Amino acid sequence: MSEQQSSQLLPGLFEAVTEGQRIDVLHLGPVLPETVEYFSGIRCRLHINDLFAELPLAFQPGDALTVQQHICELLAFPGEVRFDLCLFWDLFNYLDQDGVVALMDCLRPHLAPAARAHAFGVHNTRSPQRDCRFGIVSDSRLVLRPRAARLPGYAPHSQAKLKQCLDGFDVQRSVLMADSRLELLLKARC
Amino acid sequence: MFERNKNKQTAVPPEPQRSRQDTPPASMAPQAGPSPATHRSIAMIGPSIEIKGTVTGDEDLVIEGKVEGTVELGAHELTVGESGKVNADITARTVRIDGEVAGDIRGNEKVVISKSGNVRGNIIAPRMTLEDGAIFKGSIDMDPGDVPAKVSLAPKAAAVSGPDTAPEFDLKSG
Repeated sequence: MSEQQSSQLLPGLFEAVTEGQRIDVLHLGPVLPETVEYFSGIRCRLHINDLFAELPLAFQPGDALTVQQHICELLAFPGEVRFDLCLFWDLFNYLDQDGVVALMDCLRPHLAPAARAHAFGVHNTRSPQRDCRFGIVSDSRLVLRPRAARLPGYAPHSQAKLKQCLDGFDVQRSVLMADSRLELLLKARC
Repeated sequence: MFERNKNKQTAVPPEPQRSRQDTPPASMAPQAGPSPATHRSIAMIGPSIEIKGTVTGDEDLVIEGKVEGTVELGAHELTVGESGKVNADITARTVRIDGEVAGDIRGNEKVVISKSGNVRGNIIAPRMTLEDGAIFKGSIDMDPGDVPAKVSLAPKAAAVSGPDTAPEFDLKSG
């Protein structure tokens, strides 16, 4: 059972990609067949790392690693890779402030100068949890599939706090969606 | 926006799960058909077999056991069955993964990760199919060829700001 959702900001993700450019795409979530199929038509390398499978990513007393160490260990990007597009989708709603900052710290050195990203946040922190997996089916449409089980650690950030945590990106545009959710288009700071 | 590469074959719909019922339980046993024109030879590494080293061959192979090292099948098909555990770099014409693989995979024609597949590694293949439910961590090189893809920018969408536009993040926090 899946549904499709139109996206106003998804087209902007690809605006900085020039003709003939080969791009690196980072997808930090569970990959759906539609996403693989979509990017199979584009000259790219698709990097997939499902951080949702590692939730909750918050420091607990007794943990050997800090959140930053844990996230950097999970990501382990190859040294030479520079991501042109990043697909975060719902991830920020499941990481605490330290987690988002740690993710940005790990990612920042691997962002291409004109990198862009697509994500979802919330307009109201009481916005209900939506346990979905996301995929891209076209330049302006996403597919959403429900998860088998509820994810732990849902604690969305206010817009101001999220903006503060996203060190490395500027919020280029945001659009209010149903259930007080926000669609975000991010652009790497040069 | 992209003009998607029309000349390139894109991912194909998931293939139906193939039954292993017709595969005899023999290990490393070539299954020669009555005629090369009608049946291709398929070898099998059974569930109780463990191999460390390089596996090469000139026939299709099904791995239901454990393999550690390298698997090179050139122009043939490799299937890692549901009970198969492969910790190796793989090269084959077609690679289908129903089990677990840790290693880099080069499919000269196609790579398929089925819904029961679990792959950690980097994939290079001109065609890639990933079924819903598959677990994958790594990278997929979608365009290993040297032929430039047809990528062009579409007109800017009205909803998206240009690079000189001030960032918009003007909704009140909840």
